[in-house]
Amino acid sequence: MMVSRRDVLKIAVAGVLGAAVGGAGGYYSRQVEIDNLKKEVEELSKQIGEVKVKLEPNLNIYNWTYYINKNIIEQWAKENGVSIVYDTFESLDEVVAKLQTGTSGYDVAVVSDSPLRELADLGVLEPIDLKKIPNFKYVPERFKNPYFDPENKYSVIYSYGTTGLGWNNKEVSPEVRAWADVFEVDRHLGRYKGKITMHTDTIETFGAALIYLGKDPSSMRDEDLREAVELLKKQKPYLAGYASTEEYMEGLETGRFLISHAYNGDIAGIIYASDEREITVYKQLEYISYAFPEEGALAWADSFVIPKGAKNIESAHAFINFILDPLVSAICTITVKYPFPTGRDYVPEELKEDPVIFTPDEYLDKLYWTRPFTPEERAKRAEYWLELMAA
Amino acid sequence: MSIFLKVFVIMVFIFLYSPIAVMVLFSFNESKSLGVFTNFSLKWYEKILANPHVWSGLYNSLWVAAVVTVVSIILGLMMALVVTRYNFSGRSILESIILIPIIIPEIAEALSLMVMYIFLNIPMGPMTVIIGHIAFDISYVTVVMRARMIGYDKSVEEAARTLGANEFQTFIRITLPMLYPAILASGLLAFTLSFDDLIKTLFTTGPGFRTLPLIIWSSAARGGVSPELNSLSSFALSISFLFAIFRLRAEKGAGR
Amino acid sequence: MSRIEEVLRYIRRSRRLKISLLLAPPIIFLAIWFYAPFLILGLYSFNMINIYREIVFTPSLEHYTRVLSWTGAINIYLRSLYFAGLTVILCLLIGYPAAYYISFKMKKYKDVFIILFIIPFWVSFLLRTYAMMNLLDERGLLNTMLMSLGAINTPLKIMYTDVAVILVMVYDYLVMMVLPLYANLEKLDRTLLEAASTLGAGPIRTFIKVTLPLSMPGIMAGFLLVFIPAVGEFVVPELVGGPNNYMVGNIIYEIFMGARHWWIGSAFSMLFIAFILSLVIVYIRKIGERGLAL
Repeated sequence: MMVSRRDVLKIAVAGVLGAAVGGAGGYYSRQVEIDNLKKEVEELSKQIGEVKVKLEPNLNIYNWTYYINKNIIEQWAKENGVSIVYDTFESLDEVVAKLQTGTSGYDVAVVSDSPLRELADLGVLEPIDLKKIPNFKYVPERFKNPYFDPENKYSVIYSYGTTGLGWNNKEVSPEVRAWADVFEVDRHLGRYKGKITMHTDTIETFGAALIYLGKDPSSMRDEDLREAVELLKKQKPYLAGYASTEEYMEGLETGRFLISHAYNGDIAGIIYASDEREITVYKQLEYISYAFPEEGALAWADSFVIPKGAKNIESAHAFINFILDPLVSAICTITVKYPFPTGRDYVPEELKEDPVIFTPDEYLDKLYWTRPFTPEERAKRAEYWLELMAA
Repeated sequence: MSIFLKVFVIMVFIFLYSPIAVMVLFSFNESKSLGVFTNFSLKWYEKILANPHVWSGLYNSLWVAAVVTVVSIILGLMMALVVTRYNFSGRSILESIILIPIIIPEIAEALSLMVMYIFLNIPMGPMTVIIGHIAFDISYVTVVMRARMIGYDKSVEEAARTLGANEFQTFIRITLPMLYPAILASGLLAFTLSFDDLIKTLFTTGPGFRTLPLIIWSSAARGGVSPELNSLSSFALSISFLFAIFRLRAEKGAGR
Repeated sequence: MSRIEEVLRYIRRSRRLKISLLLAPPIIFLAIWFYAPFLILGLYSFNMINIYREIVFTPSLEHYTRVLSWTGAINIYLRSLYFAGLTVILCLLIGYPAAYYISFKMKKYKDVFIILFIIPFWVSFLLRTYAMMNLLDERGLLNTMLMSLGAINTPLKIMYTDVAVILVMVYDYLVMMVLPLYANLEKLDRTLLEAASTLGAGPIRTFIKVTLPLSMPGIMAGFLLVFIPAVGEFVVPELVGGPNNYMVGNIIYEIFMGARHWWIGSAFSMLFIAFILSLVIVYIRKIGERGLAL
């Protein structure tokens, strides 16, 4: 785990400085942060001296696209003599399909809340040994012991957020505030016909419709789903389509889409200049905003898991521990603009205070969490989804 | 009438060639524009050729296709020999067994294979991809070989036998050289099918194992059209073309 | 004399054994890696494998009846048939004149032109699809050209529509129509055409009464070779289609990967495969196997 902190520091400081130059002024305020950062790092360096565990030579990681700082993981791999395979997926379907096999070949994967429960119930996850993850102590209480994995038997928090509406504040007015805006024809839906997208993930899109209708987004009652699918069918002719991350990020940036049902972190990723290798904190596109719909929204939490059959368990734990390191988490946050909970105190002020990145705690309480579905329930939802696709 | 037909055929050829030509042309475009060609530039090529993933993808595609080709040729040749040389009851069943893998839509085939791998707890990776490719390449190889072997002159073999060569010797010395064009043609087809395969690979691959078509697919499905992808696709295209030219020459060599 | 040689001699003599030895490796390979997966799919579809992947004896047709009651899936299925049919017709309308022209009107450069026709299809399916995406894109060359010519004011929205899906499928599968047609037209007995015209039939009449009926086997082979992959299409609607362009391949994907309900997914796949196979069986009964194997 003892990636030399000097290297991490180098990356961090260089990045923050780069940002300071790139950003519009504010250099001095950042200088203070950098000093703090340095002090913190020195402090942490003194704690080095933990027993070094022998790591396996390989580590196969499976994560969402565009979700980490590539430089520091390469650094970690080099320092520890671990050779990393870093694969990415674009939808939950992909990762769950691979992991449910129990022979995925991955040692670490990142999975969202309720599918994680399903996988745990299928018995295709290895238990996580928190003793091997000392940095777990930095995880804020609210992210420990989550409803989908009591006592963190199989998972450790990676990142979290909400699914709301990303929108173009230059072209769209009045401001987007609610699901009603994208479900009612006399509001934005009609006005921006052909420029709005909903999410490709059925849970997200059904969830949004159910929340708008004032129902439980995890509802499996036929009358609720019927109502939701009818609503979505009415909405469909006005949409540009159903889009997932890369598509709506590109679409919002180029103006092909004006309003997109999107993950907050993706929107933050467009607003702030960001790249998987550089760390920057200046705003690149001021014209994109993110709205937490006032009716409420789905929250999600991505967590680390160790899939069954993982061959490099020690390395997997060491890697998880590394990412939980507050400094590393901070760097990841600064890089991809998704919040890494343990790093919150170390990110520059404007990111820390930006509600698009760190969902305010009081808001988190108002959000809905999806519950795990059984295969029967998923099939029922697929039936409705196919009906929507056929309409 | 005839002139209409001529114009129509010319238009068909334009329809056939323009998309590919445009893709290749714009891969050399300096700007990011997809509609206006500004200046000639190799920068997109520099970018993709500097990407190690592209090279490892190419490498994976090539070696998978090579293994698939060798195994498919051996198995396909065995089947083709039986189909062309022997008459026996159950022949029509055999014909169906050969034909079905060609007919069944690939997505059904790929998913069923994936389901079986999972059912049997077989970890997915290069081996499972190779097996999947062979499972449908055998049929193509058999069909192509059979087409080439019909009308094949058996008298030479018989002559060799009467001159005292045993069956094995006859096979190595006479049959195989005579079948060479058929083997080459079917082998190149098998290679191309494997090299270009997307769907089978998509559902049966494992950690870190990506082929060139997979790389192209994931960027096309996610980000749509881009100049980088144009150059990557043109790069892949040039490799496919290389093999196609081999194939053409093999076909020519096979004559008739 | 060793036993080995005895065995070898026996093999040499026995035709049946020789056939079996030659057939065993490929057949076993296909049995395990091609046919067994469908067996497992069948077990899933009849509810004979449980969630823990154990084989259990609880046969039932519930997954079949269930998926048949999914109106959405059925509608998409029917739409796929319609899309594939449209693709076939367009391929025929484009491919027939081309094959006819090359076969009948060309003398010297026939081979060259048929190869010129095939060359674009050396490019892999995925790349062809991508090349079309490039052209049809809202910011693509087609739109910029039409706009600079003043033919249109706003870019045509072709990408992510039905038109794109069908256009790209036609582009992808045209060769599958033209090759069997061309082979068929080449074999067509020219003296019959001459006979027709000496008997006073005009060129159009000759075409309708003689050429077209005689080229029916080629058309049918082309139909099958285009229709089957087009119905099961997954890549094209995924890349160029919009929310209205789900096809059978997407349904299968959605049930297997999205809902992860392998039982219903298997039942649906089995029904689809049965449909395709019955098409082929009808074809073979009527026309024979030739023409399918290119």
